[in-house]
Amino acid sequence: MNWQIHLPALVLAVPLLGAFASPVAGLGGRATRNAWMIFISVLTTAVCIMLWQKVIAGGTAVYVMGAEAWNITLPSGLSWPVRIILEVDAFSAFMAVVGSIAALAGAFFSLRFMDRFTGLEKFSALYFLLVTGMLGMQLTGDLFNFFVFLEIASVASFGLIAFWRDRPEAVEASFKYMIISTISAMFILIAVGFFYGRYNAVNIAAVARMLQMGYAEKIALVFLVVSLAMKCGAVPMHMWTPDAYAEAPAGVTCLLVAVSQASLYGLFRVCFSLYGASLGSTVVPWTIIVMGVLSMFIGVTMAVIQKEIKRLMAYHSVSQIGYILMALGVGLLALRDPQAMADYGFTAMKGGIFHIINYTMYKGLLFLTAGAVFYSAGSRNLNELGGLARVMPQTTFMFVIAAAAIAGLPPFNGFVSKLLIYQSTFAVYPLLAVAALVTSVLTLASFVKVFQTAFLGPAKKTYENVTEVPASMLLGMSLLTIVIIALTLFPGWTLSHLVEPAAKALVDQAGYISAVMGGGL
Amino acid sequence: MLDKVYSGFGYWDVFIWLLFFAISAALVLFVRSMGRNDYKEGTDQDEIFYGSNPVPEDGADMGVPAASAYWGFVEALKPYYNALIDIHSGIASDYVGYFVLTVAIVAVLVLL
Repeated sequence: MNWQIHLPALVLAVPLLGAFASPVAGLGGRATRNAWMIFISVLTTAVCIMLWQKVIAGGTAVYVMGAEAWNITLPSGLSWPVRIILEVDAFSAFMAVVGSIAALAGAFFSLRFMDRFTGLEKFSALYFLLVTGMLGMQLTGDLFNFFVFLEIASVASFGLIAFWRDRPEAVEASFKYMIISTISAMFILIAVGFFYGRYNAVNIAAVARMLQMGYAEKIALVFLVVSLAMKCGAVPMHMWTPDAYAEAPAGVTCLLVAVSQASLYGLFRVCFSLYGASLGSTVVPWTIIVMGVLSMFIGVTMAVIQKEIKRLMAYHSVSQIGYILMALGVGLLALRDPQAMADYGFTAMKGGIFHIINYTMYKGLLFLTAGAVFYSAGSRNLNELGGLARVMPQTTFMFVIAAAAIAGLPPFNGFVSKLLIYQSTFAVYPLLAVAALVTSVLTLASFVKVFQTAFLGPAKKTYENVTEVPASMLLGMSLLTIVIIALTLFPGWTLSHLVEPAAKALVDQAGYISAVMGGGL
Repeated sequence: MLDKVYSGFGYWDVFIWLLFFAISAALVLFVRSMGRNDYKEGTDQDEIFYGSNPVPEDGADMGVPAASAYWGFVEALKPYYNALIDIHSGIASDYVGYFVLTVAIVAVLVLL
């Protein structure tokens, strides 16, 4: 039997094994624990890439957990699925690859960065649980299962944000995130309950086939959209992000960026694959677009006034999420109109999905460079830092690459995705493109401020003994830098092989449903 | 692999930009090579001009701190920033309030 049919399950099993075996690996000492962390991270990334290749070559992969045969979604005599089904289309596989690369970079970086902490076997266990939760959210075809993986990711992230538990700020950040996250999870659970009550099913494809818009479906839609928008840090529910991103260890923040994308994935899976054309009015697409514009502008203006490097970058995360929300909101707006989809909708979706990979890579790298500065200089305060380019040249180089990419400076990858977003959103409403352009200018301004205050300027006596970070941390940052440069040099390949298949899978609701429910739609 | 990216409204070609940067860099280096070459390191010629004041020994006494960056921008938008900072209260119950309020507003819009 071809073992590759089990790839969807392996993508979840590998990090889960990594999590549960971490305490055992920790018994072997630091070297064994570190080797285990890298081995599992590399293996997870490799399995995700193989799954992506399989999906691109053979179409949507379906995997039935616990069934006699992996591919029988509808047991005999039943017209709807009863088991947990993993459904991996090109969009899911794309997200899994992006997330696993960020997790690998974070793992490399954490090897030495976490040396100052104790209880590292718990750290690696929580880290891999977070990876499992993130990948589970992206691969599952089941709404209740999505909620379970969301909770796994949330609980792991509470522990990781508060991992530096002798810092009151870290515990406070985790506590705030726990409250808002738990309440939003309850809303998601209620929404899933609505579907189960109405359709006796929680499989996304099964519910999507039967879905008819009524009050219960509308309320479920609102609960899902707003809760998942909160989880990815959209304004006005973004307040947890600066606290959580700033207080988590840098390697974890890199992973949290990817995890926020899993929530974004859930949001668009619900809108495109679960509801699709049933959405009816344009209220939800415009709500997402407005959230996107507010996130872009409020996120970046709050970033400009920050004096703490990781908080500044966290506000930029809010701003970048805004671009993606706006672009995919425009795609959703054009969903029912083939002409609009051809004219600007599909371009907006390509821009938004391209921005997902760009954002995860350069934002992950920026957080790692901020962690490197903190590791070497012992401060995150921009008022205190200065002249670090002399003593940390490699970190400075990688910071400049990431900062130029996030600011959308040509020829970097951030420019390409933003160009697609500017041009397509202009066709809908020119002010959307203007807001995106202004945000880009302010992004550049705030990263010029970070570069000038932390890296440039005369050498400061306080930092005369500062040295470059260890090789494993540089390796974590280099991995993301290489991906950014590759995305910059080969945007055509990226669009045709990674982004377009993902965008096509997202708009193909009938294909998503038929992979589980068979034909006869 | 090295093709252009067509947006439907125009196109993007990274290699044209790289060529542009290469030509620009060559021009800059050419202009730089035309400069004077009788500069003497370690003499008064390379002393920092610091507004006719003695140059501080520690770099920490020079430069513009982050708190002062974009002072004019922030001052001009003070009412906006005051409102925005008030919203970011750091109180967990406020966070929950904004979330519930957003759910309520979107629910009204969708249900109407």
